[in-house]
Amino acid sequence: MNVIYPLAVPKGRRLCCEVCEAPAERVCGACTVTYYCGVVHQRTDWGSIHEKICQLLIPLRTSMPFYNSEEERQHGLQQLQQRQKHLIEFCYTVAQKYIFEGKHEDAVPAALHSLRFRMSVHGLSSVELVPAYLLLAEASLGLGRIVQAEEYLSQAQWTVLKSTECCYATHSLLHRNLGLLYMAKENYEEARYHLANDIYFASCAFGTEHIRTSGGYFHLANIFYGLKKLDLADTLYTKVSEIWNKYLDNHYQVLSQVRTQQIDLLGKQFETDTGLDEAQEAEAIQILTSILNIRESTSDKAPQKTIFVLKILFMLYYLMMNSSKAEEYAMRALDLAKEQQLSVHEQNTIQDLLNLISAEEAHHIT
Amino acid sequence: MTTLPPLPMTRPKLTALARQKLPCSPRTIPRSQLIKEKDDIDHYLELNFKGLSKEEVAAYRNSYKKNICVDMLRDGYHKSFTELFALMEKWDALREAAKVRSLFWLQRPLEEQPDKLDHFYYYLTRAEAAERKEYFEEVYNNLYALACYFNNSEDKWVRNHFYERCFKIAQLIKIDGGKKEAEAHAHMGLLFEEDGQLLEAAEHYEAFHQLTQGRIWKDETGRVLNLLACESLLRTYRLLSDKMLENKEYKQAIRILIKASEIAKEGNDKKMEEEASYYLGLAHLAAGEYETALAVLNIYGKISTDLDDDLSLGRAYEATAKVLQSQGQMAEAVKYLKKVVKIARNNFQSLDFVRASTMLGDIYNEKGYYNKASEYFQQAYDTTAEITNIPLMDETKVHYGIAKAHQMMLTINSYIESADLTSLDYLLSWKESRSDIAPDPTIGGSRRSTMESLYQTSEFSEEDLSGFPDNQKK
Repeated sequence: MNVIYPLAVPKGRRLCCEVCEAPAERVCGACTVTYYCGVVHQRTDWGSIHEKICQLLIPLRTSMPFYNSEEERQHGLQQLQQRQKHLIEFCYTVAQKYIFEGKHEDAVPAALHSLRFRMSVHGLSSVELVPAYLLLAEASLGLGRIVQAEEYLSQAQWTVLKSTECCYATHSLLHRNLGLLYMAKENYEEARYHLANDIYFASCAFGTEHIRTSGGYFHLANIFYGLKKLDLADTLYTKVSEIWNKYLDNHYQVLSQVRTQQIDLLGKQFETDTGLDEAQEAEAIQILTSILNIRESTSDKAPQKTIFVLKILFMLYYLMMNSSKAEEYAMRALDLAKEQQLSVHEQNTIQDLLNLISAEEAHHIT
Repeated sequence: MTTLPPLPMTRPKLTALARQKLPCSPRTIPRSQLIKEKDDIDHYLELNFKGLSKEEVAAYRNSYKKNICVDMLRDGYHKSFTELFALMEKWDALREAAKVRSLFWLQRPLEEQPDKLDHFYYYLTRAEAAERKEYFEEVYNNLYALACYFNNSEDKWVRNHFYERCFKIAQLIKIDGGKKEAEAHAHMGLLFEEDGQLLEAAEHYEAFHQLTQGRIWKDETGRVLNLLACESLLRTYRLLSDKMLENKEYKQAIRILIKASEIAKEGNDKKMEEEASYYLGLAHLAAGEYETALAVLNIYGKISTDLDDDLSLGRAYEATAKVLQSQGQMAEAVKYLKKVVKIARNNFQSLDFVRASTMLGDIYNEKGYYNKASEYFQQAYDTTAEITNIPLMDETKVHYGIAKAHQMMLTINSYIESADLTSLDYLLSWKESRSDIAPDPTIGGSRRSTMESLYQTSEFSEEDLSGFPDNQKK
């Protein structure tokens, strides 16, 4: 059922594999519009993105039904475009999430889908393609395919260079990935240059204290850490943790305020919300845990800083409704505080956090 | 290919590559090899074409502002970057706001002023480096240098920003016994003073004064800091009390001025003490406490005599006269005012002279001694004419005219009342000539001599006054 024979396909019509664009031998049985060169690629695609968008592809890949009037035709076309745009965003977010979770292999098909839809909607030389290129480059970097990453990045850079109107956010992303590329190539001079550019553009787009700027600071800190300029790296890590702390604390405060005001009115739980999309949450976890690791390696000297990061992680997990993880981090903070004999005030605040968690759990059980 | 020595073989290699890429090339090159060669080509280009490097291209393509920011960041100076970025945003916002207000706005955007950006870069990065090593004095010096650089009317807010930064940093500096902190307080005081927030300014100056008490620190120009503190504090107190007097809060104003004079005493500077007591006297006068005012002004006068300072002595007498005048002791007041007139004349202080003469004239005018009044007013008027101070001249002119009219009215009245032929003649001749009227021999024999002397002296200014017929006819 799922196998097709290339020779049996009508003349002039070439069926390509969704992943590698080789002549296709198989077809997805669920949507019957997606082809693969073999089982391996079909599996990768299914695991990555196809499972989520299988049914959505059908209207895009079958020919348009016959419409009786011009109006209907226009309407149909508009709807088609709407669908494509939705798919672009969806695939992009999925790919991003995979990348932040470290599943680079899975990210590639999703990113490729996003790129392909972008090409069909915006044309070949549009700036809109750049984010997809950047995702692919990032995935390739993660897989250690530096050459391929460089190819994608050059493509992206060229597109940006040619276009006159390109927003700061895209510039920032491009430079961040270039920075990562040069880090992988161990050309730290260039990497620093690109990351500096990234921070500059991100600041122009979002402001210097925005969480989307923090990524640039983080990578820059990593470079300095690698170069053994520890004091420099330390200030940069502090900066990153402060940015996240400010952001999460803000949400945390708002939430707790709403709770105390309205809990009796409806007697129900309020949705905890980080205000982040999945990719950003993954990024937050990645950045903060690696900072935590670095802090812990030097926690004898500055336990305060470690506790600070632990608290941020607690808030993040708490807002993400992952109370077991949150509890774990709070416990670690408390242990560390006791071990290093920090001030009573510090210990008390951590204890308060723990109480909050257990109260929450009790609430869930009842 | 890479095994060949790079330089002599470069050209053949490039041509070989180019030929292989021609459509008729016999075979396709494997991808990996192409990529390897790409690096070689890059290397070759770098060595042989001394064109622009990547950085030079970037420097050329991007704005100077961006290059400065990127330079800061790549060396890890992120705090400097954040600060500069915030300043630039504020700069732009201010420009926009100013543009709305007026079309001819001269302030250029920061991007077009590379000198300023260079200064930012130089001092901010140095400050940050010092901050990392916790050399707070160094940080302070760098920030202060920036504040000094922006000490002009256009960029005042930048200077203020750095004064505030300095203030924060100075509180961390402990080794110098608080000198830097004192200086920072002085700057903050200045900042608030310029902003018109006198209470805050006074607070900072007080801290400045307290920190410098008993120290012999000097600033760059060699002035003793403590003295500087006293001066600024007194100035602020005075402004503060002025404001309070305007709002009729006499008690508070006097309290502040008493504090000021105490500080001046501690400062061991007679000049300041003098000034403080003068303003205190004036405040007492405004509050209506004449006795205390007199006592304070006495002290003031004594200090002035000690210092041999005629000018302040004049001021002392003038203020005393004012107090006496408000008390109604006209004779005393006149005595003091005459002293003032003498002092002012001796020191060629035309304005003081005019003021004192006018006051004297006023007193005489009220008392009905019109001859004397017009005499003094005339003196005042002549002096103003000499120094060509038009508004003041107009004022004294009017005063003079009024006194003169009063003076003549007496004579004319008496002529009219006597109602005989000679008087009629006098009146008629006066009507025709409109100049001075001959005095009536029947009245004021005692005053006559002075009158005559006055008329002789005043003849020449008659033309000037004829511009004011109303005054004369009155």
